[in-house]
Amino acid sequence: MPNDALLDLTISELAPRIASREVSPVELTEAALARADQLQPKLNSFITLLHERALERARAMEAELADGKYRGPLHGIPIGIKDNLATRGIRSTVGSLVLADNVPDEDAQVVTLCEDAGAIILGKENLEEFAAGATSNNPHYGAVHNPWNLDHIPGGSSGGGGANVAAGVTFASLGTDLGGSVRLPGAFCGVVGLKQTFGRVSQRGLMVTSFNGDHIGPMTRSVADSALMLQALAGYDPLDPSTVPVPVPDYSAGLGGDLSGLTAGIPANYFFDEIDSEVETSVRNAIAALQELGVSVVEVSLPSMEYVGALRAASLSDGVVTHEPYLTSDRDKYGPNVIYRTLAGQFVLGRDYSKAMKVQRLIKEEYARVLQGVDFLITPTTPIPAPRIDALDIELGGETHRVRGPGSGFISRNTSPMNGNGLPAITVPCGFSDGGLPIGVQFIGRPFEESLLFQVAAGYEQVSPSRGIRPQV
Amino acid sequence: MGISKETMQAIIREYGGFDLSDEELDLVQPEVDGYLEAMAGVADLDLVDVMSSRLLRAAEGGTEDA
Repeated sequence: MPNDALLDLTISELAPRIASREVSPVELTEAALARADQLQPKLNSFITLLHERALERARAMEAELADGKYRGPLHGIPIGIKDNLATRGIRSTVGSLVLADNVPDEDAQVVTLCEDAGAIILGKENLEEFAAGATSNNPHYGAVHNPWNLDHIPGGSSGGGGANVAAGVTFASLGTDLGGSVRLPGAFCGVVGLKQTFGRVSQRGLMVTSFNGDHIGPMTRSVADSALMLQALAGYDPLDPSTVPVPVPDYSAGLGGDLSGLTAGIPANYFFDEIDSEVETSVRNAIAALQELGVSVVEVSLPSMEYVGALRAASLSDGVVTHEPYLTSDRDKYGPNVIYRTLAGQFVLGRDYSKAMKVQRLIKEEYARVLQGVDFLITPTTPIPAPRIDALDIELGGETHRVRGPGSGFISRNTSPMNGNGLPAITVPCGFSDGGLPIGVQFIGRPFEESLLFQVAAGYEQVSPSRGIRPQV
Repeated sequence: MGISKETMQAIIREYGGFDLSDEELDLVQPEVDGYLEAMAGVADLDLVDVMSSRLLRAAEGGTEDA
C-alpha cells in the first residue's frame, strides 16, 4: 500500500501493521507531514507544524519497535494538538495574539499521556481565538476551512483538529469542549467527536479556560479510534481536582456488542425544536436505523431545558475573570468577536451567577432521573449543517441567529447543555445535506458510562450512510 | 428589557470594570441582552430547595419523592 493511502486508514486498522513492523512510523509521519504541507494552504488547519520534532519522535518510536518495544495502539500514530493545550518548548498561542510568543515550560497532562502512549505530534492546530466560539474563523491566524467545502466553517472551536482528521492529515486530534467545541467540528467535518464525562480526563495544561464545564476530548475517524484515544487519556490526576478517581474500564471491550435490549430516549422538547429539516431527517433516520438494530425508543421530556440559557450568566462571568489579566495588559490584541463577548461578563450580577449554579443543578438532576429510565439519549449534534465562513447570521424557520461574536450561541444549543450537566456525549456522522455537508447525531450517556456510548455509536457507525465516505480536498 | 448605557457606564465606573465607549457598548449589548433574557426566563422559577452545582460530589438523580 502506498504511504499516502495509509493516511486514509484508522488507528485501529494501522496499529497491528505498525506492531508487526509492516508500516514504518517514520514513513507514516513523512506521509502525514507531506499531506499537512499540501493541504495547509487550503485548510489552514495548523498554527504551528512540527516537522523536525515529529520526525525525530517517529525515528525514536521506530527504534523502539526494532528493539521489540511496542507501547500499544497509539505507537507511531501521527496526531494533532489544539493550540490551547500547553506543549513544553513549543509555542502555544490559544489562537490569540496575546499569547503569540507563549512557550510553556510543561506539557498538558493529555499531551504527556499521548506521547507516553507512543503518539507523534504533527503540530499545534488552529482554533477560534481563545477557543471562544464555534466557527474557527480566527482573526489572527486565519479561518480554518471545512474539507468538505472550503467555503464553509469546520465548526469550532477545535476546527483545525476536525479538518485535519477529516482530511486524513492526522489520525486523531485533541480538542477542547466548553460548549461543544469537539462535537461541533466532529459534526461539521464528518468525524467522531467525544466529550467524555466531566472529571474523566485531566484538564491540567488547558490554557485560558473557565474550568467549569471544559473538557479535553478526541476527534477521530472511527468510534473504535475514539475508544482507543480515551483509553490513553482517561484517569485520575491528583494535580487536577476536577478529575474523579473512578476506575478506567477497557473502552474497546464492548465494541461490536449487540444493541438489542437497550432503550434510547428521544427528547420531545428543545433538541428538535429549532432544527434544519435536512438535519432532522438524517437524525430521525439514524434513530430508525438503531431501532432496526434492536434498540427500543421512547420519548422523554426534559422540561428544565427551558431554563438552560441561564447558565450563560455563569459562563459570561467565568469568561471575564479568566481573561482579566490579559484584558488588563493586552486588550488591543484581541479580535472584536471575542473581546466584546467577554466584556459582557462584567455586567453579570452575583445573584444571577448563584441562580445559574442552581439551574445547572436542576438540569443535572433532571437528566440523571431521565437516564434512570433509558440507557442513552439521541439528539441532533447541531441544528444546522456548517454555515459559510463569511456568514455572520443564518436564517432558520423565519428567525435570524447570530453565528459568531456577541449574541451568538445558536450553533452550540444542542451540545452546550452537556457541558453544564457533565454527561458524556459523542457525535457520529449520520449523512449529508443536499449541499454535501456532513450531519452528526449525538448520543448522550450516564456519567462514566462511555463504554456504552462507544458500543451504541460503533453499532450505528456500521449502518450510517456516511460510512466510508471521505472528503476530496 | 436591557440595561441602559448610563447604567453600564456607572457599573464600569463604580465597580472598577473595563472601560467601554458608548460605541463599544453597542457591540457588547447583544450578549448582555441574551443574558438578561435568559435570567428573565428563570425569574419565577422556585430555586429555594435546589442545591447548587458548586456542591461537588453530591449524589444526583434521586427520585421525585426522595
